[in-house]
This record gives sequence, structure tokens and C-alpha cells, in this order.
Amino acid sequence: MLEVEISGVKFKNPIIAASGTFGFGREFSKLIDLNLFGGISTKGITLKKRTGNPQPRLCEVYGGIINSVGLENPGVEAFLNEELPFLRRFDTKIIANINGFSKEEFVELAKIVSPLVDMLEVNLSCPNVKEGGMVFGKDPDKVYEITKEVKKVSACPVIVKLTPNVTDITELAKAAEKAGADAISLINTISAMAIDIETRRPLIKMVTGGLSGPAIKPIAIRMVYECFQKVKIPIIGMGGIMSYKDAIEFFLAGATAIQIGTVNFVNPNAVSEIQKGIENYLKNHGFESVKDLIGNIII
Amino acid sequence: MKLLDVEIVENKMIANGIYLLSFESEYLAKAFKPGNFVNILIEKNSIYPLLRRPFSISFVKENKVFIGYKVVGIGTQILSQKKKGDTLNVLGPLGNSFLVERFDGKVAVVGGGVGIFPLLSLCHELKKVGNEVDVFLGFRSKSDLFFVDEFEKVADNLFISTDDGSIGFKGNTVEFFKTKVGEENYRVAFSCGPKPMLSAIKSLNLPFKCYVSLEEKMACGIGACLCCSIKGKEDNMLHVCSDGPVFDIMEVDI
Repeated sequence: MLEVEISGVKFKNPIIAASGTFGFGREFSKLIDLNLFGGISTKGITLKKRTGNPQPRLCEVYGGIINSVGLENPGVEAFLNEELPFLRRFDTKIIANINGFSKEEFVELAKIVSPLVDMLEVNLSCPNVKEGGMVFGKDPDKVYEITKEVKKVSACPVIVKLTPNVTDITELAKAAEKAGADAISLINTISAMAIDIETRRPLIKMVTGGLSGPAIKPIAIRMVYECFQKVKIPIIGMGGIMSYKDAIEFFLAGATAIQIGTVNFVNPNAVSEIQKGIENYLKNHGFESVKDLIGNIII
Repeated sequence: MKLLDVEIVENKMIANGIYLLSFESEYLAKAFKPGNFVNILIEKNSIYPLLRRPFSISFVKENKVFIGYKVVGIGTQILSQKKKGDTLNVLGPLGNSFLVERFDGKVAVVGGGVGIFPLLSLCHELKKVGNEVDVFLGFRSKSDLFFVDEFEKVADNLFISTDDGSIGFKGNTVEFFKTKVGEENYRVAFSCGPKPMLSAIKSLNLPFKCYVSLEEKMACGIGACLCCSIKGKEDNMLHVCSDGPVFDIMEVDI
């Protein structure tokens, strides 16, 4: 009932832990059963270790949080040696979120990582780095070029993660599809800012950061819906999913699977609650499978 | 660590904007070590506040867990309105703890403002294993004092400082602590308080080990979100929630 397939990769359920919110699973494994996830998208990895951005990196705003972690990660070698073997113990699909500061770095990472994971998520959308990330992801030509090169060397299916910080996200979705992406995931966080009116300083040291949480859900739904009209490859939807109801909205807008992020911080049991909620919804509405919901909005 | 629904036993103002909340939890009371903290979901299904809030555990008594906090924003404001019988979802115990052992010499405990909260149980434990403990507490003013009676019961010597001199020594508690460092043979110090206070302690270059409990904004409390990262002395990243909150002062960039 809950099984979905993306480019030949079978997910036992459509709930994936969103990159950047779940570390490498180790931390949450002390609290919840990682087998509950259909997939886990790992903390974004880079070729070399990165220390990330200075403090403060987090602030809360109405309906969401702004972060500027800046891709802090131990680098690909530590990921392969220390984190991946741990993650492999669980019955869940492993999606490696990769980040480069040049096309060559993306290609290099894809070569190293893709034979060892179920899918790659090419992060062309991180708003918290000066080079790469969103800078590439805003330009359809760059999205095309990087996706194409990564696809050439990748041993597993490739997801391209898109940024919402553009005028028309469907242009990027089409560029990714044209370059051979197996799926797209959207949305990454929205560039945002908050100011402490007492100190008159920004609440994030980097001044701006990425907004996530319930505040961005309607925007994400709209973007999934728009992309669903324009591309044929599967869409993994995310952005402010807090409950099964939010997840259903994403499926109806056109998502094949969903990623949950901010909610993990608030309610570590969200994955099991959302899973049960989707199951009940399907039963109560006479659907046999999540697949019946994809894009099944009535306009 | 566990996710627990707990019922509030008491939530009362103990000083100017300072509250003491208690709830019953046999598990937390037993698992707790001084320095640990909990991540509390203040309102279920709320979008503002959305995130859990981290609070150090001040002390435990039988099966009751006591959390001291200051009202600073929307989360603590709502928390301060909670009444006996209301439920809270608590994740904990989280983080590491202070080193408690019998030290060969006197122990100094230095606290400032809300940083005083986690130090009370530390003092209890330090005394239990036979240490002589000097406590230095800094407040803004007389009206901000809290936990003084409790520290008086447990400290061998208690030194109060206030910024305005309304009680105790006028001025910075670190300045006063500095004078005692010259006079006493301390073997170790423990501290928690605002960052400038901890930086001042670090700059004293104490001739003995000093452990500090740090605070940073965090989302998950378990080391996954990487929002509470701080730099270690070798430019390595440390996480206040999972590598700390207690660190050797020389190992962190403050």
C-alpha cells in the first residue's frame, strides 16, 4: 500500500528523512527505529571536511526556523568509512546528498559515492554557501550541465534537489529532466532573514539563512504542483510537512515521495505518525496505494 | 534518553522573571547527572513556538525533576503560564555531564545569571563525594537573587556579587573569583553563565582545570541538526548538545 518506486529503486514507504535534518541517522537511531523510514537522505557531504558557518546559525520565526549551518560535514572519506556502514545496517534506502563547489567536484563525488548508495541527491540548492549550491541551482544551464556530467558517471539513479529561490522553478525542473535526472526533489529552504529589534542585529550571523517549517509549505505545494505539470520524472516533495495531512497534500500536488525535516526536531515520532496517517487516509478514501494519490488533485 | 509526557507538579516564580518548574519522572530523576539538559516541547501542534527549548536540569528530589528558567522569549513566556497538572513533552536526559569526583583540594564553582541553574546539583554531588566547595554567584541586583538559600546549605563558602552592589560584592563575579584564585589552592573550577563571563574566566589562564557548561541555539538537542556547533581549539567542530554542554574551557573557542 505504501510502497513507491523511483527509477527502479523501491521504497517500502514514501517517507524519507530530509538531508540536513537527520545527520547520518546515528543520532536519531538512539531514539527511534530508522527502519521506519522509506529512505534517509544524508547530511550534505562534500569532498573535503567543512566546518560550516559561524554562530548564531539558527533562529526561530513565526511558523518556521532559519538556519545557516553551511554544509558542516566530515567529508566524503569519513562518510564512507564511518557513517555509511552504520546506515547500511538498517532496512531503508540510502540517498547520499552531495555538494560541490565546481562541476568537477560534483562529478568526483558521484564517482566515489554512487556505487555504494541507493541514490544520489545532487544538491544544487544550498542557500548557505557562497559558491556552488544555490548559485548553480538558480541557473538552468548550470543545472543541465552538472546533472548531465553527474549522470554520466553515476552508478545509481540521480535526484536533483532544486531551490525555490527563483522566479520559475519549472525551468530548473525541465533542465534537470532534459539532462537525464531520474527524479527531482523540492523544495530546499527559502532565503530568509530576521532582525532582533532590540540589538538591531540580524538573528543569523550570516545575515540571511534558509527558512524551513510550516511557513513554507504552501509555497512548496505550489512548486510541486507546477513542476508536476511540466516534467515526467518523479518528484520528491518537501517543505514544512508536520503531519500526514501535509504529506497527502504533497502527493495530490504531484509528489511520488516526501521528505520530512524540521518536524524531526519537534517530534521525533513524526515518521511513524505520518506513516499511520497516510495508511488510514488511503483506507478511509478507498485508495489502494499511495500511487493513486500522485497528482490526483481535482481542479 | 527518552521522549516522555510529564505532568507539571509546580511552576512558580522564584525571583524577578525567574521560574522553577517541577515535574514527576522516575526515569529522568534516576538517569540524570549534573550538567544534563532536556529539550521541552512547550506546546504540542504549535507553529510559534515551533521548536523544543533546551533547559538544564537544576536538581532532582526523589522522583521530581526541577528546571529553573528565565522568561526571555515566546517559549519561556508560554511555559511560565503553565499550571500544575498541565502536560509537557520532554526529551532527555541530553548531553554530557560535569566531572564529579573527589578532588585533592578545593573546588570552585562560578555561576552567573541563569547559568547558575545547573550548578546546584553539581554542588550537591561534589559535596557527596567529599569535596570542599567554594561557590561564586553573580547576579545583576538583589531582586534577581535565587537559589541562594540552597547554595548556602551546600557550599563551604558562598560569595555573592551583584552588578549594582545591592548585595554582596559590587561588580563582576569573575573579578572577585580572580582574587580568591590567588589566595586559595583550588584544584578545579566549574562554571556556567553568559559568554562574556566564561571568556573572562578563560582569559584568567587558571593554573588548574576549568569545565564550563555552554549554551547555543539548537533545534534537535541530539547532534543531528548541527545548529549548535562551536569551534574547538584545533578548528574542529564541537556540538554543544552532543559533545557538551560541558567542555574543558581550554578545548573550546569562547
